[in-house]
Parts: sequence; C-alpha cells; structure tokens
Amino acid sequence: MSVSREEVLKIARLAELEVDEEALPVLAEQMSRILEYVAQISGVAASEGAKPFIPGPDAVRFRPDEVKPAPLAFGAAALAPAFKDGFFLVPKLGQFEDAEPEG
Amino acid sequence: MTDPTEALASARAAADRLVKVKRLNASLTPPKETRKSLLQQAAAVHPSGVLYGMAVAVKDNICTLEFTTTCGSKILEGYRSPYEATAVARLKAAGALIAGKTNCDEFAMGSSTEHSAYGRTQHPTDKTRVPGGSSGGSAALVAAGAVPAALGSETGGSVRQPAAFCGVVGIKPTYGRVSRYGLVAFGSSLDQIGVLGRSVHDAARVLSVISGRDPRDATCEDRDSLRLPTVPESLQGFVIGIPKEYFPPDLDAAVRRACDRAIRWLKELGAAVREVSLPHTPYAVPTYYILAPAEASSNLARYDGARYGPRFDGHLDVRALYRRTRGEGFGPEVRRRILVGTYVLSSGYYDAYYRKAQQMRALLAQDFRNVFDRGVDLLFTPTTPSPAFKAGEKLADPVAMYLSDIFTVTANLVGLPAVSLPIGRVKGLPLGGQFIGQAFLEDEMLEAAYALERVVPAGAAAEV
Repeated sequence: MSVSREEVLKIARLAELEVDEEALPVLAEQMSRILEYVAQISGVAASEGAKPFIPGPDAVRFRPDEVKPAPLAFGAAALAPAFKDGFFLVPKLGQFEDAEPEG
Repeated sequence: MTDPTEALASARAAADRLVKVKRLNASLTPPKETRKSLLQQAAAVHPSGVLYGMAVAVKDNICTLEFTTTCGSKILEGYRSPYEATAVARLKAAGALIAGKTNCDEFAMGSSTEHSAYGRTQHPTDKTRVPGGSSGGSAALVAAGAVPAALGSETGGSVRQPAAFCGVVGIKPTYGRVSRYGLVAFGSSLDQIGVLGRSVHDAARVLSVISGRDPRDATCEDRDSLRLPTVPESLQGFVIGIPKEYFPPDLDAAVRRACDRAIRWLKELGAAVREVSLPHTPYAVPTYYILAPAEASSNLARYDGARYGPRFDGHLDVRALYRRTRGEGFGPEVRRRILVGTYVLSSGYYDAYYRKAQQMRALLAQDFRNVFDRGVDLLFTPTTPSPAFKAGEKLADPVAMYLSDIFTVTANLVGLPAVSLPIGRVKGLPLGGQFIGQAFLEDEMLEAAYALERVVPAGAAAEV
C-alpha cells in the first residue's frame, strides 16, 4: 500500500487539516507504512455473518425527556475564542464549496 | 484519618512531594497552583469519605473544575472545562484531594508520553527512558511516590503499559464499569478511565469509588460500584490460562523469565495453570490501529477554533480557520491518526479497512469467549514486550511504537478488565505482568493480583 502525496492532500482536505508542504513526503511514507501494516488483516477469513462486537450495555437506557438547565460552572461565552450576543463568531463563509477535486 | 488537620497535613505533604519530582515533567499544573488548590480542598473536604485526605492526580484528558484540561495539546491550551468528570466528582465526594493534572501523550495518542505539546515526561528512575504512555505522567508520579494513586485513561493500554514501565499497579476496568462522562473522547468504543496505584489495594480502592452507574453516560452499565475483594489466602480453585500467543519466540528474555517465575508463584499459590490459545491475537494491533484512528478522526472533528480552545487564523474564511487551527493546534501523532482514520473511513476504503476491522474485533471477542467458556477464570500474560525503552527510540517509526501495545490492546478491543502489576526487574527497570479477567469480574481478577503481589519480592530480589 503506497499513499501518494496527492492522496495525503485529498485526505487532509476531508479531515479539514492543513498540512505543510515540507512535511508531505514523510507523512506519505509514514501513512503508507501504517496502512501496509494494518492491511494484514485483509488475509484473515471472517464470516460475513459474525455477530459484531459492541461493548457496553445491550440496550440504550433512555433518560426522562426533560428540559433542565445544563449544570455548567460557566457558559459558552467564557470558552469561545470569539462570542457576541449569544453567538459564536467565526470568519465569513467565503468560497465554502471549494473547487478542489474530489478525486 | 478523620481529623480535619490530617487532610491539611496530607495536602501539604503531597504538595511538597510534587515539588521534589518536578524534574520528571509529570505534572502539567504548576506546583504553586497545585498547593493552593490542595489546601483549599483539604479545608473544605468532609472527613467521612473513604478516601479522606488521599491525594489523587488526574490525567489531563479528564475534566476538572480546579485545573485546566488540555489533553497535552496546544489546541486546548488554557482550556478550563465548565463541568467535571463523574469520576473526579466521586473522588472528591469520597474525600480525595485532586493533586493537579498529569502529562500525557496528546489526546492520549501514544505509548511514551513523548507526544505531549508540553514536553516529554521522564521515566522516574532513568531519565534517558520513557515512562510509557499515554498516562505516563500519572504513572511517573505514583512511582516517584508523589501521590498514592492517579487517574489515567485507557484506549489501547495507556494505563497498564506505563504502570508496567514505571513499576506500579494499573487497572483497566471493564468497558462500562466507570462513567466516561468528562473523559475527553478519543476512541469512544474503547475508552475507559483507569487507575494507577502504589499497590493493588490503593488502585482498587480508587476504582471502587469511581465505578458504578451514571445516567450521564449511556455506555456506563447499570450496576453498583465495585465491591472491594478481600486478600485471598491462596488461589486454590482459580484456573488461570496462559495464552501462548503472548509468548512469541522473540519475546524479550527478561520479560519471559519474569513471567515464567510469576507463573511458578501462581502454581505455588494453588492456582491451576493451563496453556490456552487466542488465535487471532496477532491481528489485534492492526485491528486497533484501524478502529482507534477511525473513531479519533470523528471525535476530534470538534476542535476547530470556533467554540473553545485557542484560534489559529489567517482571517481568510471559516474553512481556512478550521484547517489552520487544526493544522497548527494538533501535534504530529494526532495529525497522523486523524489522517489514517479519515482514510480508512473514506469512500473506496471503508470495506477493506474499517468493516474488516470490525469483523476482526468480533473474532477477537469470540477467542476470549471460547477460553472462558472452557472453565478458565482469568488469563495471565506479560504487560509489555520489553522494559521501558529509550526516549526517542521509536519516535520516527510509528508502527514500532504501536507494537509496544501488542499485549494490551486486546482487552480494550473486547471490553474486558485487566490489571498490570510489577513482577520483577531487569537491571533496575520494572517489568509488568497482566491479568485479563471476565467482564465485570474485576473482584476475581483483583484477588489474583493481591495474591501475586504478596509474593513478588522487593528491591534487588526482584531482579530476573
């Protein structure tokens, strides 16, 4: 399994992660090695009908559907990098649907 | 200890000890801040709790009100949680004093505590070596005697592996035994809060307090808190399985000698020991390193510079804000895992990686069911394939680092409880042995750990 520079960039876009140009060759090499290593499970016979293993309780327990104040020590305004009148502030949307190829 | 002045004395003593071990870089809370908080907590704590006056340090991916919660990451630098973890609230209610936050690999991703944005933690007895990870700060503080116990978290062995490297006890409970409310999510189907302690008893006491049902976590089982077992006179009646896949031909010779000696002691204690097979064990690490990054890539999507944590922006547009913040805020190992996780979940690769890994997880769980169905009570294995390795030794090769989890990831994948305890030393470096128990039978597992702990010699006699 060899991951190309272009594939790393495509995956980084999907992950909303900026990647340095200089770091790309090492990153591609490391991702290739990791993916090659984990791909060894492809050779193991596994029944399609095998019961999936899901940890935790067999059934989800529901809480009463009641509106209660969140028991927080302080509100979102104290946490957010930018907050005004009850809203989180972010830069403009810009060209949100970018023209990057989906490959 | 029920005299209020004793809690203050305990707080002062813990604060003094934390100053003495500052060189380890095991605590992320400045000593003065820890001291101030410890004294305030000690003055207010109710003396009736079962952990009254006990100083307990908390891994930095577990939310506290008293201290920041950064997960060892630049992306959460200065973050103060508006709520605290259920485990922390229960410790405080039991009279424990929270002794600051401990260093860890960023977002608990790592096996050496070298992947922290706040510098690496040193091994407590050999500064050239790692303490293990990701709960390396917690393990180092307990091993150095700064606190009797600390909370850590496990996704693939992050309590047991550092416990083994540092020579302390580390318990990973059954998935669902302890509430994950307030534990910053990494791999939600694998994560559990665990405990590191000087002894099985110290760790078990803390586990007993933090365990039990919690309506704030739907994955926490509707069960009472763990009943503390008594120290058994012998292990008569216990059937202990030794899985042959955990003793490969290339296993470190000292680890093998220590385990062989421990198995002899288990027999002398009256346990019936038999070899068993968990045939899919060789596929546990690859399975884990598909599932854990996949879950991480989803869980860490929330860090985007919009709602909390620092913002790294070029004032371009919102998408550039997300990318810049995440690119600058996450360290190299977290970036790598997010990319691998996104890759294995992406169109065209999902079936080959993620779906296949889920099938492997089912097979691994079946391996354990088969063994336990044949009358085996619990399993004994080495905790790690080697003693603590040198700092920097595995940093350039992620797969080599991942392989240090080879004996621990399975318990996380199949949700079972496990405990690591010291079973010997080689040239002064601790070696750990591990019991893996049946789901929610921690009491039985801890009985065996109590019994083995009592026969492991201290000091030079522990050398193998």
